[in-house]
Order: sequence, then C-alpha cells, then structure tokens
Amino acid sequence: MQMRSLSTWLILGLTLTFLIGPFIIIIFAGASAGNSLAFPPDGLSLKWYLKVFTVESFRASFLLSMFLAVVGTLFALALGVPAAYALNRYKLPGDELIRTIVAAPIIVPGIIVGLALLRYLVVPLNFTVGMALFFAHTALILPYAVRVVSSSLNNLRSDMEEAAVLLGCTRVQAFFKVVLPNIRGGVLAAFILGFVTSFNQVPVSLFLSGPGVRTLPIDMLSYMEITYDPSVAALSALLAFMSVAIVFTAERLLGFSRYV
Amino acid sequence: MFMNKKEGLILALPAALFATLLFLLPVMILLSEAFRIDGSWSLQGYVDFFAKPLNQVVFLRTLKLGVLVAGTAAVIGYAAAFCIVNLPAKSRGRVFGLVVLPLMISPVARTYAWIVILGRTGIVNDVILGLGLSDTPVRLLFTETAVFLGLLQLFLPLMIISLVSAMENIPRDVIPAARVLGASWLQVFFRVILPLTKEGLVVGGTLVFTGALTAYITPAILGGSKVLMLETLLYQRVNVANDFVSASVIAMILMVMSFSANLVLKRIASARS
Repeated sequence: MQMRSLSTWLILGLTLTFLIGPFIIIIFAGASAGNSLAFPPDGLSLKWYLKVFTVESFRASFLLSMFLAVVGTLFALALGVPAAYALNRYKLPGDELIRTIVAAPIIVPGIIVGLALLRYLVVPLNFTVGMALFFAHTALILPYAVRVVSSSLNNLRSDMEEAAVLLGCTRVQAFFKVVLPNIRGGVLAAFILGFVTSFNQVPVSLFLSGPGVRTLPIDMLSYMEITYDPSVAALSALLAFMSVAIVFTAERLLGFSRYV
Repeated sequence: MFMNKKEGLILALPAALFATLLFLLPVMILLSEAFRIDGSWSLQGYVDFFAKPLNQVVFLRTLKLGVLVAGTAAVIGYAAAFCIVNLPAKSRGRVFGLVVLPLMISPVARTYAWIVILGRTGIVNDVILGLGLSDTPVRLLFTETAVFLGLLQLFLPLMIISLVSAMENIPRDVIPAARVLGASWLQVFFRVILPLTKEGLVVGGTLVFTGALTAYITPAILGGSKVLMLETLLYQRVNVANDFVSASVIAMILMVMSFSANLVLKRIASARS
C-alpha cells in the first residue's frame, strides 16, 4: 500500500510539474533584475512587470483585445441567446441545419477563418481589418454561446413561461421576466467562456492585423521576435493570472464548470 | 414547445445569417480556391502542392507530430488518470483543478516558457554546460523535439480529462476482481481498463491529435522556419510568397482533418446518449 501511494504521487508529481512548471518558470523569469531572459533569474525585481504597463503598443493592443473579448462576446450572446431559445422552444423547419451552421465556427481552424475574412471581406468588400477581426471573434464565440445557453434552457421547463403568457405577459415580457432570470447563470458562464476564448485567441487574428490594429497575443508574438527581454514573460504571467482569477471567481460564484 | 414557426425563425435567423454570410461563405470560397486555376475547375493545385518535396516533408511531419503527441499523451494520460481516480475525493478535486488550470492560460504564455527552458541560455543548456556534456550551448529550440514538448504540454490536459471521466465509469470492483483472479497489472490494463475506457481514449486522442495539427503558436515559436508544420507553412505561403493556391490546399487538409475528428466525436456522443 505504501509503495502504491508513493508511485501515485510520483506519477502525479511529474505530470503536474510538466503541466504547471513552465508557468512557474515564466513568473520568475519575468521577475528578473537582469536584462535578458533567464532562469533562474539574475536577481529578483518587479521592473519588468512594471515596464509592461509603459509599453505603448501593449497598451493599445490590450485595449483592442479587451474590446473584442467584451463587445464581441456580448454581440455573440445577442445573436446566440435568441437562436438557442428558438432552437429549444420552437419546432423549426430546418433546425438541424441551423444548429450545424451556428456550431460550424468551432470546427474550422482559426487560421483559415482569418485568411478567408481577409481575402473575401476586407479586400473586395472594403471592410476594415478591425471590422473583420470583430466579426471573426464574434463568429468564434457564437457556438459556445448557443451551446451553453441551450443547455441551461434545457434544464428550464417551458411551462413556466407558458404560465406567464396565460397570465397576460406577451412572449417578449415572458422571456425577460421569467426565462432570462432563470438562465442568468448559463448566460454569464457563456460570457466568461467567450471572453477567455476570444482574449487568448491567436490563429484567427493572425492575418487580421494592420497598422494600429493588433490583438495583444499577436503583439506579444511580434515583440518577442525583436526583443529578448523578460517583459513578454512578465506580461504572460500577468495575463495568466488574469484568466485564472476570472475563471476561479466564476467557479466560486456560480459553479462555472456545471455549465461548460 | 411553441408552434409559431415564423416567430421561431425570426429569433434564429440573425445568428444563422451572420454565421453563413460572414463566416461560412468566405471560408467556402477560400477552400474552393485551389480547385479553380485560371478560371476553370482542376486538381492541378493539389498535384503541384504535393509534388514539392518541402510540402511533403511538412505534411508528413505534421501528421507524425500529431500521432506522437496523441500517443504520448495517452500513455501519460492513463497513468495520471488512474492515479487521480484513485485519490481520496478531496485531493482528487484539487489535482484535477491543477490539470485543468493550464487550459485557461494563454497558449502564448505557455509556449513562451519553453524558450526559457530550452533556449541557448536556458535551464537545460545550463545543466548540459555545467555537467561538461558539451562545450557550447546545444541547439534545442527550433527542433522537432521542442515542438513536440510544447504541443504535449498544451494538449495533455485534454487527454487526462477525457480519461478521468471514462475511468470514473468503471465499476469499482472490476479491477480488484481481476487481480484476485490472478491477472497481472498488464493484463488488467489490456483486458479490463482499456476496453472499458476506449471511448474516452478516442475522444481524448481526437482532441489532442486535431489540436496538435491545427496549433499555430507552438510551431511558430518553438519550430520557426526550421520545423514548419501545416499551419506555419500556410502562414508563410501567404505572407512570404502570396501563394494562395497552396494556402487553400493546406486549408482544405486542415479542414478535412478537423471535420472528420468532429464526426468521430459526434458519433461517440450520440452512441452514449
């Protein structure tokens, strides 16, 4: 028995070191007092963590990524919630087709999406790169929005809203007064999932960047090609903390994992 | 269930139209591009693509790395999942949480760590030089091994998650029963655990394989132009050579892989319910 629990912890220890270790290395590499990327770092300091906030291009691309993640996800929800509701509550002609169409973005590799929108929206139709980027991120989140909201609608019996309608609500009122409050958790979970997915997304944004339009991960990629200082490590660590904090809070507050 | 079809369609149509016009249509046109050379239908784009030795190398390398990463993930995944399932409930949740954690972290951050580990002044080279195994730093970055490690680290959690959920469904007494009846651990694995978890293995394997195939960041950062994979080749064909025919061929290959993987997953999901 002793032997077995020893080997259990050995296997788990090695696996977790492999999975989490690089992340810890990044935190320390970013906290270096020296000027080049190294581990163990040449002395500890927070200068790179502070420097990140003063790099102009990081600030601009952070704001763009935030905007895409927040507004793109809201837009995807504005499209996805009604669609999920319709697919759940109505007998629609061609509902399988609609389901497949709105779920499609999850299957298509991101790099193809970015290139396709660049070639056929931006170039011939005069869409700006920013608009194409926004649509690409929205499309990417749409499947998650529909799926997560659908599953919480599935758990909500439809007689509640039928009762509301019988008692004099319009269909729209019934939705906002009865349905929406009850699927709040699912909608919020979809928002968080969409936010994290969009914020960390790289392949979709790869071709969709131009002067002044660049998401944060893309900006980091091009920064690390030129410079070899610890600022990207510091920034990576900060972003990782942000994602983990968001998901952790969501899990604590609403049992996020139930919905995903 | 409401019967008013018009109302339902009005609600579902914006999402469907959005996805069709701004997403599916451009993607379809891109995929069809390789079939239209100089205005007529042809397979010449594909023939030319696969005739180039570099493209063959990249294609085979991508498949090879996908298989290797999925296979290695399966071996580690089984060991880790078996340990996790047998933990007491409280530590099981914690360990599982740590396995899931990396999935929330930006792939850029996760891949960047490997530069610190494998770079010229990285940890591994410090050890190699320190032990006197080599006089000069060994090139570890921009090798297939670096890409392999990066991809494995990125996608291993998906395999462990799939296998843990498959193993949780193995009836409790089956393994002790097999042991009591004289099976060795090897026999227990191949005749009890494997057959009972093969769906989880297929789900995990498919996720890891397609993930590795369609990853961009890892081969870009850790492989560079020395170890091209299909995604980085696509990027290069477009940005360096304006070669949209090759780009379309690669896009189709990636699409077919991803689509078939999705079919496999769907089939398993519907067989379960």
